[in-house]
Amino acid sequence: MKRLRLDRLAGQLLAAPISPAARLSRPSSISRSIPQTCRHASLYNTQPCQRRHQSTVVSQAPLEEQKQEEEEYLVQEPEDGEPTPEDTLRSGPLPSPHPSRAASSAKLAALHARLSLSPKIPIETLARALVDPSADAHPKYNNANLAYVGSTVLHYHTSETLITRYPRLPMSILFTAMKGYAGNPALHQVARAWGVESAAAPGEEVDPGLLQYDPMKPTVVMNKWGYVRAETIESEKFKSGKGLSGRVMYSSNPFGESSAAKALPNFEVDDGRNSKTMLLQNAPANAHANFVRAVIGAVYMHCGRDAAKNFIKSHFLSRTLDLSNLFEFKLPTRELARLCARENFEPAVARLESETGRLSRTPVFVVGIYSGRDKLGEAAGPDLDSARVAAAINALKAWYLYSPGQVSVPSDTFAEDAAPWKPAYVDIGEIIS
Amino acid sequence: MEARPALRPLTTLLGSCSRAGQTRLQSSTRRTKKALKLPPHPSFLVSAAEADHITYNPPSAAPSVYHTPFKFLPPSDPRRQAQLSSLLRGSTGLPSTAAASSTTTPEIPALEEKHQVPEPKFNVTREQVAEMRALRAADPMKWSVVRLAEKFECSKLFVMICCKASAQHQAKERERKEAIKARWGPIRTQAREDRKKRRTLLLRSEI
Repeated sequence: MKRLRLDRLAGQLLAAPISPAARLSRPSSISRSIPQTCRHASLYNTQPCQRRHQSTVVSQAPLEEQKQEEEEYLVQEPEDGEPTPEDTLRSGPLPSPHPSRAASSAKLAALHARLSLSPKIPIETLARALVDPSADAHPKYNNANLAYVGSTVLHYHTSETLITRYPRLPMSILFTAMKGYAGNPALHQVARAWGVESAAAPGEEVDPGLLQYDPMKPTVVMNKWGYVRAETIESEKFKSGKGLSGRVMYSSNPFGESSAAKALPNFEVDDGRNSKTMLLQNAPANAHANFVRAVIGAVYMHCGRDAAKNFIKSHFLSRTLDLSNLFEFKLPTRELARLCARENFEPAVARLESETGRLSRTPVFVVGIYSGRDKLGEAAGPDLDSARVAAAINALKAWYLYSPGQVSVPSDTFAEDAAPWKPAYVDIGEIIS
Repeated sequence: MEARPALRPLTTLLGSCSRAGQTRLQSSTRRTKKALKLPPHPSFLVSAAEADHITYNPPSAAPSVYHTPFKFLPPSDPRRQAQLSSLLRGSTGLPSTAAASSTTTPEIPALEEKHQVPEPKFNVTREQVAEMRALRAADPMKWSVVRLAEKFECSKLFVMICCKASAQHQAKERERKEAIKARWGPIRTQAREDRKKRRTLLLRSEI
C-alpha cells in the first residue's frame, strides 16, 4: 500500500486562515446558479469520495475549465454577469453560521469541555467540524477535509489494534469488526453519547454548537481506503470479485464493501440504472459519523499523533464489541477437520461427556471435541448431532479468537525512545474459503 | 425434585410391604416440602473452626470461547510454557486443575461413526474410479451412490465427486422427491421448515 502523506493532505487545514472578509464575500447557496454546479464539480473531483442524491445534477467539466471556474468564483464574476459582487455580497443568508460566532456559543464551549479537548484545538475548528458538506458545500467551511484525515487515522489505529489483538480472525469477521468499531453506526452512537444535537435545518442563524446537515443535499461519504486498483472499475462493471478474495483485493473501503463506483468521481447521476448506489442510505448517521471523524482529524492536526492515538483509544477502541457473536459457519465440522489437518493435530473426535434424559422429551447431551488427549471445545445440545456441531463451532471460535493479550502495535514505534519492533504473531490465513 | 425419583422406589417398596395396593403420594404440602428438602451444598456449610472463609460455588456455565485450549496456543505464546509444566505435573500424578480440564480420560467413549467426520482413506485407484463411472452410467438405479460407496469402501461424497448421473436420472430423482414432498401434510411440512430454521440458528450459535 502506498504510504499516506497525512501532512501533505491536511496541510491546508491549518494554513488556510478564515478571514471574515473572505467569508462575507462568498455567495450564498441561494444566489449561486452556474458557479454552484461548477464548484460542485471541482469539489467532487478533489475530495476523497462522494455520494450524491438524485435531486442534484452534476456537470462534469475538464480540469482547466474547473480551474477557470474557480478563479471566476474567487473573483465573484459569474459568466452571466447578472449578479455583481456587491449583489452577491449580501444577497442572502450564509449557508452555515459565521466562524466568528463560535466563540460566543455556549453549546460549543460545553462540547469542548465535555470531550476534554486540548486548548490547542480552537473553538472555531470544533464549530467547523459540526458543518456537514450537505449544509455548506464550500470545502473551507465544512468538515470534509478534517473528516478525511480523521477517518484515515481512525481506520489505521483500529485495524492495527484488531490484527495484533486477534491475529487469527477470518477476513470477513475482521471487516465486520472494523465496521463495528469505526463504521457509521458506531460513530453515530459515539456522537449521540457525546451529546451532539442536530439543527432542524442548516443556516446562518442556527447555533454553531449544533450539527448542521441537510438530508436532501449532496454530501461526502468517507469510505476510501488507501490505494484503489485500476481493475476495480472493471470488476465493478462486470459484477465480478464478489467473493471474499475479491473483497480483499478490490474493496476500496476498510469494511470490505465494494464501493469502487462510489469512490470514483465519474458520476452518472442522470442514469436511473445506478441511482440507487448513489443514494445515501442514512443521512443522519453519515453526518454524525463525519463529525466524529472531523473531531479526530482536528485532534490529530492540532495536538499531534500521540494525542490522536490516545483519543481514539479512549473513545472508540475501548468500546465493547463481542466478536464471538459475529461468526456464522457453514460447515463447522469440515472446517475443524481441515484445521486439524493443516496444523498437524490429531484428527478431531467427538466424545459424549454426559447426557440426561435420552428417552425424554427434552434430552441434553454434552459433547466434547478432542484432538488426541486435548479437548478443543465443548457444547450441550438437544441431540447428538447438534451438540457435536455446536462443540465444533466452539472449538473453531476458540481457534479464531485467540488473543496474545496486551501486545505492542506498530504505531508504538513512532515514539523516539521506542524499542525496536518485534514482529507480531499473525495467522497465515483462512482455513477454508 | 431431585429427591423424588430416589424416594419413589423406597416409598413404593414400603407401601407394598405394609399396605398392599396403597401408594403414598405427595399430595399434601407437608409431604411435598419434605420430599423437596435437600441438604445445602458442602461449600455453604461453615464449620466452627474456619469462621473466615470465601464461599466459591459458581453456577455451572458453558466454557468461554475466549479461553484458548492448550493445543491452539502458538509456540510463541508464554502461556504455552506455563501450561506445559502443569500438564507434565498432571501426568505424573500430582493434582492439577489445568491438566484435569484440558486432557481427557480414556474412558470417555467416542460418538458413533455416523456422528464423526469421516477420515479420507485414499483407497480408491484410478481404474476403480473408471469402473465406478461405468457402473453408474450403465444403471444408475441399481448402482446408486450408497451402493457404490459400499462397494468401493469410500465415502458417498467421494462417489459424488467422481461420477455425475445423467440429466435424465437427476430429473427422475427430483420428480420422485417432489412427489414425496407433495404427500406431506401441513404438520410435517412445518416441522421440516422449523428444522431448517433451527439449523440456521445453530450455525449462528443463537440456540
